[in-house]
Amino acid sequence: MEKKYKTAPFRCWDKAKTIRMNIYREIGEAKANGKLLIGGGAESLIAIPTGFDHNILVGEPYGASISYLYRENPDLYFQIVEAAEHAGYPRDLCAYMRNYLGSLILDKYIFGGHFPKLDFCLQAGFCDTHSKWYQIVSEIEKIPYFSLDLVPFDWEISGESEKTKQLKRDYIVNQIHEAIVWMEKITGRTFDDEKFIQGVINESESTSTWAKVCMLNRAIPAPLDEKTILSFYILAVLGRPRQDVVDFYRELLAETEERVENQIAANPYERARVITDSQPPWFALDFFRLLESYGVVSVGAHYSFGLSGGWEYDPEEKTWNAAKTPKERGVELKTRDDAARWLANWWLSTGTVCRGVRHSGAGKIQRVKDMVDKWQVDGVILHLNRGCEGTSLGQMDIVSSLLKDGVPTMTFEGNHADPREYDEKRTFARIESFMETMGLKQIYEFKK
Amino acid sequence: MIALGYDLGSTYTKVVILKDGKVIGKGIAKTTLDPEESVEKARQAALQDAHIEGKQIDRVGVTGSGRKLIKNADVDTTDVSAAAAGVNYYSKDFKTLIDVGGEEARAVKVSADGKVVNFAVNDKCAAGAGAFVEAMARAMQLSLEEFAESSLASTKKIPINAQCAIFAESEVVSLISDETKREDICRAVHDGISERLTSMARRVGIEDRVALIGGAVMNKGLVKAIKDALEMDVTVLPDPLFVSAVGIAVLAAKAEG
Amino acid sequence: MIKDFVDIYEKRHEYAKAWKEKNPDKKVMGYMCSYFPEEIFYAGGILPVRILGSHQPQNVTEPYIFGMYCPFSRDVLAQGLLGRYDYIDAVGTAYPCMHLGQAFDSWTMHVTQKSFYIDMPNRVQSPLSLPFLTGRLEETKKEVEEWIGREITHANLQDAIDIYNENRSLLRQIYMTRKADDVPLTGTECMYITAANLFMDKKEANALLKDTIAKELTGRKVKSSDDTRLMIVGSENDDIGFMNMVEEFKAVIVMDDHCTGSRYFWNPVEPQENLIQAIAQRQIDRPICPQRDYPERRRLPYLLHLAQEWRVKGVIILQQKFCDPHELDKVAIVNWFKEHGIDTLYLELDVTVPLGPFKIRVEALLETLREDDIW
Repeated sequence: MEKKYKTAPFRCWDKAKTIRMNIYREIGEAKANGKLLIGGGAESLIAIPTGFDHNILVGEPYGASISYLYRENPDLYFQIVEAAEHAGYPRDLCAYMRNYLGSLILDKYIFGGHFPKLDFCLQAGFCDTHSKWYQIVSEIEKIPYFSLDLVPFDWEISGESEKTKQLKRDYIVNQIHEAIVWMEKITGRTFDDEKFIQGVINESESTSTWAKVCMLNRAIPAPLDEKTILSFYILAVLGRPRQDVVDFYRELLAETEERVENQIAANPYERARVITDSQPPWFALDFFRLLESYGVVSVGAHYSFGLSGGWEYDPEEKTWNAAKTPKERGVELKTRDDAARWLANWWLSTGTVCRGVRHSGAGKIQRVKDMVDKWQVDGVILHLNRGCEGTSLGQMDIVSSLLKDGVPTMTFEGNHADPREYDEKRTFARIESFMETMGLKQIYEFKK
Repeated sequence: MIALGYDLGSTYTKVVILKDGKVIGKGIAKTTLDPEESVEKARQAALQDAHIEGKQIDRVGVTGSGRKLIKNADVDTTDVSAAAAGVNYYSKDFKTLIDVGGEEARAVKVSADGKVVNFAVNDKCAAGAGAFVEAMARAMQLSLEEFAESSLASTKKIPINAQCAIFAESEVVSLISDETKREDICRAVHDGISERLTSMARRVGIEDRVALIGGAVMNKGLVKAIKDALEMDVTVLPDPLFVSAVGIAVLAAKAEG
Repeated sequence: MIKDFVDIYEKRHEYAKAWKEKNPDKKVMGYMCSYFPEEIFYAGGILPVRILGSHQPQNVTEPYIFGMYCPFSRDVLAQGLLGRYDYIDAVGTAYPCMHLGQAFDSWTMHVTQKSFYIDMPNRVQSPLSLPFLTGRLEETKKEVEEWIGREITHANLQDAIDIYNENRSLLRQIYMTRKADDVPLTGTECMYITAANLFMDKKEANALLKDTIAKELTGRKVKSSDDTRLMIVGSENDDIGFMNMVEEFKAVIVMDDHCTGSRYFWNPVEPQENLIQAIAQRQIDRPICPQRDYPERRRLPYLLHLAQEWRVKGVIILQQKFCDPHELDKVAIVNWFKEHGIDTLYLELDVTVPLGPFKIRVEALLETLREDDIW
């Protein structure tokens, strides 16, 4: 089969890598540079501590990184996972957490040396696990711990009352203020409101710009495939309040617009499009390459599009678009309270993935179907993630609903960060069967 | 037109030969560590059964987990598509198929023209079908046939875990030591597996008529349990081990030259 | 009497249907979590009944709920899909956990459309949770009023609180009797009583409880100081078969901390002018569910207090398979009890459990606990 479209690597690819490595390097150098080193989840209000000079060792990407060791350094991998299991943590718990705890218990940082010494833990409990995760870390490390309770909005379709929404906003805002005062007390440092305001603005800019990039993937051919998307989305996860991340996404947006204009494709054979959901099995992204060999491009996922927020609902169009930033709304954040209120509302209104960890049902189905429609999707592949019940919430109902609408849908079981729970051969066999269901034959043989 | 269909499974290698759309020969061999030898053995058995020579074969289709072994087949599909085509060969009225193998089970929604509408495969927590029955039969020191017959004699339903084969095995061990009647234990094992199969089949939506294929459905006790769990009649296809091979032979015959 | 509770437990649906027939102008609703503010609904003339599983294997939930979700959540959903709760007029929950939350979401899509969802906060250790929950419950009250077409008055609410408080007090009274050497009821019998209460009109339950306490439990002795005293700790548990099996040994389960046991009723609503706030305060102060127990571990000293007060020699930690919140606490609980000289046994529950292998484990625990006596 002839290639239909031209392709080209992203010019900003190396910059993304550099920023990511900088973030990890800074974590390693934080203490030497007199910065606070905070432990917490990426799916938290990581803009809060921007009022201090700090770095955050975010647990989820670190847990994912450990899963790569399964192939690269299996001895170390098994030492780490077995450390968590010997400590008594069952295998069906969040794989990110188990990997992280194992590394902590062993006092082995997989990027070299001892596990970094955290000053305190700051977390947000958006799922059943995360608040407890950092409670355990704090106990092991004997450091202070603060966890905000994030009670998300329900999906728009539920018609939640404005009063309930305001209660949730106020609850989070009050906790943000409380967290700041707490951090000042335990660190003895002064919180810089200007930096916090800028951090909140940056978070909005990063995630909104990322959403705009994702929206460009509605184009045919898609300028990005999901493997690329996952390499870019991670910057928002790791450091959305950072200026270099804001700048990067602006650059990425411009380059993606150019690719759309010039019909530069992610997959030169693009003839069918799918979306996925949940974290992928990080250590085994080859199934995207398998799809490519059928001329199928995975154009995104609710997960990678929206994990860090940035999508606001349009009630007239009943769809989600890139959320408007303070600048776009003509709003000026002048005080700590302004920033806290904006951040709380941003998380509640635009954080659809975190919302989807608490509420599924008709709302989550609507979100996925909206993506099928807007991204012109031919099929859906859902990862039934044994390592994360949060992102798996509602998936079976989503499958039923899509099938009723005649959208080819398949599932495969796996784990986002525990390779022992993923059978690649069987998954490939299922994908091949799914391709047959979609009437697609392999264009070229895929070799790992 | 003579078409040959290979189904290269992990336990058995099956071959079916069709002539003008009718099955004229079948062959089977255990899949060994020398799969090429198994393929040749099964092929020769099928040719003998069909009373033809290899050079008379016009089209070749291949399916099964080992299908990459056969190069230059006219048609190469996964066993999901082959199974759908296979049940359609027997009747266009089959809308749902449940394929119960030794290690894996699947449910497929089939269109009137034998295409796959939707499919589901058993996931980790419901792993094992035929292999589990075999293990339990060994634990109770019965042959598979005795195990099946015994279950049919049971008059008491004992619920056992339908989620986890390991937990289920523990429960069976408990039942044995509690001196529960043998036939009731045999039935409980079948009931447990059939609950898992039915759960899986519900994912694709169960629509009449339902066809059962795969080696494990030669067990009458399991078939009865599946019927009871589905609360509807089911049809065990003739030579249920060969249905996917039939299907891929049908697809090979239909393929454009 | 105890057998009446056994009967209601086993015929919970018949009880609810009979109640509905006796009260044709009133509604019945099913709810899924012990944090559900029943008083608000009861004050509206509604009978809240807890939805529990049936402990029977089922094959209906797989199209709706991932197999990695706990067996209890799937068993609960199955009851709805199988039509066993066809008499309820609405379904409700306070945020329980992701697994039961998923069962709730699927239930509202496929079983009962009318629903009430309460955002129960997790950070109950913070004073900020009270105004949040109070505000949220005020909204709930409005939703209920809209549904029933009338106002829920202060008097209605006070009545409901009084009845529920009496129920809690009576159940506590029964639990207190289990402190004695001569235990008047087994853990199994107590489980029947507490579980049956989950399905009952509390007015009727209170009458039956008073009768049981006065006429049956007083002077009764089923286990003595020869029996090893145990406590069970964990997630939802109404596994009567398991309880029975344990108490067939020279053992008695004298206390529990699980959500269909003491956590459900332990503390009363304390009087205050703002009744909604009073209900909220109770939810915040009640024996805590693991995913709400942070940043401090308040559960640990509380569990130790129970173990010491009820003079327990061993603890069986029983959680639903795949239950993340309880798994996250389990390591700390085991270590804590060990530090305080109390042995534990950790087991996972499923819809049906392998009683044989569990029996061996329980027996091993009991032998460990009786080592001093044996040697």
